[in-house]
Amino acid sequence: MGEELKVIVFKLGEEEYGIEVDKVQTIERMMPITRVPKTFSFVKGVINLRGVVIPVIDLRGRFGLPESEYTDQSRIIIVTANDMEVGFIVDSANDVIDINSDIIDTPPDVVGGVKAKYLRGVARISEERLLVMLNLSEVLNRSEIIQLESLEG
Amino acid sequence: MDMNQYLSMFIDESNDHLQALNENMLELEQAPDDIGIVQVIFRSAHTLKGMAATMGFEDLSSLTHQMENVLDLVRNEKLKMQDFIFDTLFKALDALQDMVEDITEGGEGKSDVSSIVASLQSIVRGDFASGGAAETSAAAPAAEQAASSAGISLDQYQYSVLEQSISEGHSVLYINVSIREDSQLKAARAYMVFDLLERYGDIVKSNPSVQDIEQEKFDRSFSLYYITQKEADELQSMIMNLSEIESADVTQLDHETLEQLASAPKEAAATVAAEPEQKKAEGKDAAPAKAEQKKAAAHHHGSAMPSRTIRVDIDRLDVLMNLLSEWLIDRARLEQLASEVRRSDLIETVEHMSRVGSDLQNIVLKLRMVQIDTVFNRFPRMVRDLAKSLDKKIDLIITGAETELDRTVIDEIGDPLVHLLRNAVDHGVESTSERIAAGKPETGTVNLRAFHSGNHVFIEIEDDGHGIDRDKILKKAISKGVVTESEGAAMKDEEVFMLLFASGFSTAEVVSDISGRGVGLDVVKTKIESLSGVVSVESKLGKGTKFSVQLPLTLSIISAMLIKVGAEKYAIPLSSIVETGLIQRSQIRQVHGYTMIPYRDAHIPLLSLASLFDVPDYDENAEEESEIVVVRKGDRLAAVSVEDFIGQSEIVIKNLGKYLPAIQGIAGATILGDGQVALIIDPNAFIK
Repeated sequence: MGEELKVIVFKLGEEEYGIEVDKVQTIERMMPITRVPKTFSFVKGVINLRGVVIPVIDLRGRFGLPESEYTDQSRIIIVTANDMEVGFIVDSANDVIDINSDIIDTPPDVVGGVKAKYLRGVARISEERLLVMLNLSEVLNRSEIIQLESLEG
Repeated sequence: MDMNQYLSMFIDESNDHLQALNENMLELEQAPDDIGIVQVIFRSAHTLKGMAATMGFEDLSSLTHQMENVLDLVRNEKLKMQDFIFDTLFKALDALQDMVEDITEGGEGKSDVSSIVASLQSIVRGDFASGGAAETSAAAPAAEQAASSAGISLDQYQYSVLEQSISEGHSVLYINVSIREDSQLKAARAYMVFDLLERYGDIVKSNPSVQDIEQEKFDRSFSLYYITQKEADELQSMIMNLSEIESADVTQLDHETLEQLASAPKEAAATVAAEPEQKKAEGKDAAPAKAEQKKAAAHHHGSAMPSRTIRVDIDRLDVLMNLLSEWLIDRARLEQLASEVRRSDLIETVEHMSRVGSDLQNIVLKLRMVQIDTVFNRFPRMVRDLAKSLDKKIDLIITGAETELDRTVIDEIGDPLVHLLRNAVDHGVESTSERIAAGKPETGTVNLRAFHSGNHVFIEIEDDGHGIDRDKILKKAISKGVVTESEGAAMKDEEVFMLLFASGFSTAEVVSDISGRGVGLDVVKTKIESLSGVVSVESKLGKGTKFSVQLPLTLSIISAMLIKVGAEKYAIPLSSIVETGLIQRSQIRQVHGYTMIPYRDAHIPLLSLASLFDVPDYDENAEEESEIVVVRKGDRLAAVSVEDFIGQSEIVIKNLGKYLPAIQGIAGATILGDGQVALIIDPNAFIK
């Protein structure tokens, strides 16, 4: 019997993703973002979250998905992992569910265009509903970005 | 019991005590007879021992215990401080420091201190001074006599020989011979006594030793243990028959008296040294002695004053600082709203709140200020040790130790200063012989000064050594390819000296373990610049060298000029702005591929912020005039073109978060009155 997990559910396109609730600090509506020059295109800039400056990344851009216009539904999920605070811009975030870690399966190579190494697994909640669990420490892995940068540059 | 909660307190207090010990030891070294200081030292050591024992750090407490034993003898005037004791105590302090550091880093504070413990114990036993005994006796002739009458210390072997002789029915004698004061040939007379005695028995041990007596290294009396078949009276008359002998006390020893005599000297030797001091104090100089006591008492009083400070975790101060900066942002917002609403009582309240807020901000900033003494206080010890190991004589004069600096700066400035000081001691001040040859005082002086000036704190390290040899540096720089010969010839002295800070540059002819470790002054420069500081050198050949370090008072709040480019706002630190101005775009020239503008009598490069930062919605080329900010790095200038000036403001520096890699030209971020984040520009990055 696995452990019970509380998961924040958010959407990128039609796909639903999940992050454990204890990694999430808050969920914010879109707010003014100050652009930071000379950095990766998916880094949208920094925001003022109650006096703390926090970098914000577009999760679509991070996964190499096409970026889209922000809407009323767009949210910034502030997560804390590896000692870093980062905001994720997602298409929408509106659900918290309980799942059992037993129902998380190892992910196939690519899910909805997202590489498997960014994923912790796929949870089948019901017949037609799949939840892709993120591997936060990989998503926030800076060494990979720095490599990427040197390849591009 | 879980001791973890007490650990940080223990570490803090141990460091305090160690620091106090170090300082007081140095003070004592200057005034070895001041028992008052010894009392203070003793108490610190005692407290440290108690704390260490409570926390279960056995090694720490046992070493302090040994130190305490030595100090106890000194305190009770049974032992006189001298070089060997100082060195051993300092070594012990170092070992303690290492242990506490180990504990700080999560270790158990274990360390092999057996050699230090052994020397401390030998000091307590009083037998360390075999070499120093002659000195002591020369300094205190009265002491010598006391020692001789009190007996001679015997080692175990000698003791057992004597004891056995008594058991076997030989007569064991303790003989004390005094030679007449007017004798010209004391050594010869003593030799005659030895010669006589050796004919009739065996000398087991003499004090002073036979060698010392032969070299006339004794006052006028000596004593010895002697095994013979003769009677005591007979021997006495035989000795007295020799010429120029004043007296000869011959005592027949049995088991009991032997034991007494053999054990007495340990204490006697210790008391002896202190005795002349006591006599002097008891004698006609009673008044100064009293004054001295008073001084000692005052000393105690000073250190016993209850402390008016409390310890606060630095994290809590940081939280307070963060809360305050959030509040500052709200205040700016409120001021803006109040000016829009235009209700006089609201404006009044907001104004009052602003004033209170400014005071609050000052206080909080002050809380973060730490006296630079916390960095300086370890230097006297360091310089003493360095000078000793280099066999130089150096006075370190510290002024302005009470100057205050932000805690963050204090934490970082220690290492660069250590480097500069080591440099001054090692390379700056000449060896004693060189100094004498140059007609300078034998003892070199290193001045360490700290003082406030404007929004900056200056730290200067000045030595009176041989100064920097311009030609030597140039030669080296040319050979290393740092500059060409013609460039070098055109350079001003200051520019040449700044070459010292170029990376991989070390001019010491001999690589010593003190400052020539490959990493040179370039590391110092990098570190100081990372603290937004500046370092410079002045030097006169033959006169000395002065390193000046200029540091900002605080790193968390700065004055800045806010500017606008397109829809974006940026802050430029006022400290690097020379002036702001307006130029006609027609004045812009292209020189060797650089964009230059005329400024004063020269041309300076013009950089466009919009293009440096790829600002999307602004094209300055469409304008006729451009606002420029002239910035400075060292003595190089550059102009940065912007769209508009917003105004000057005090801003709170925040970092961009760990996730973002360091971005060239951006020093951090701040939050403006409207709640938006503005990036802080680091103009230094634009000037190459």
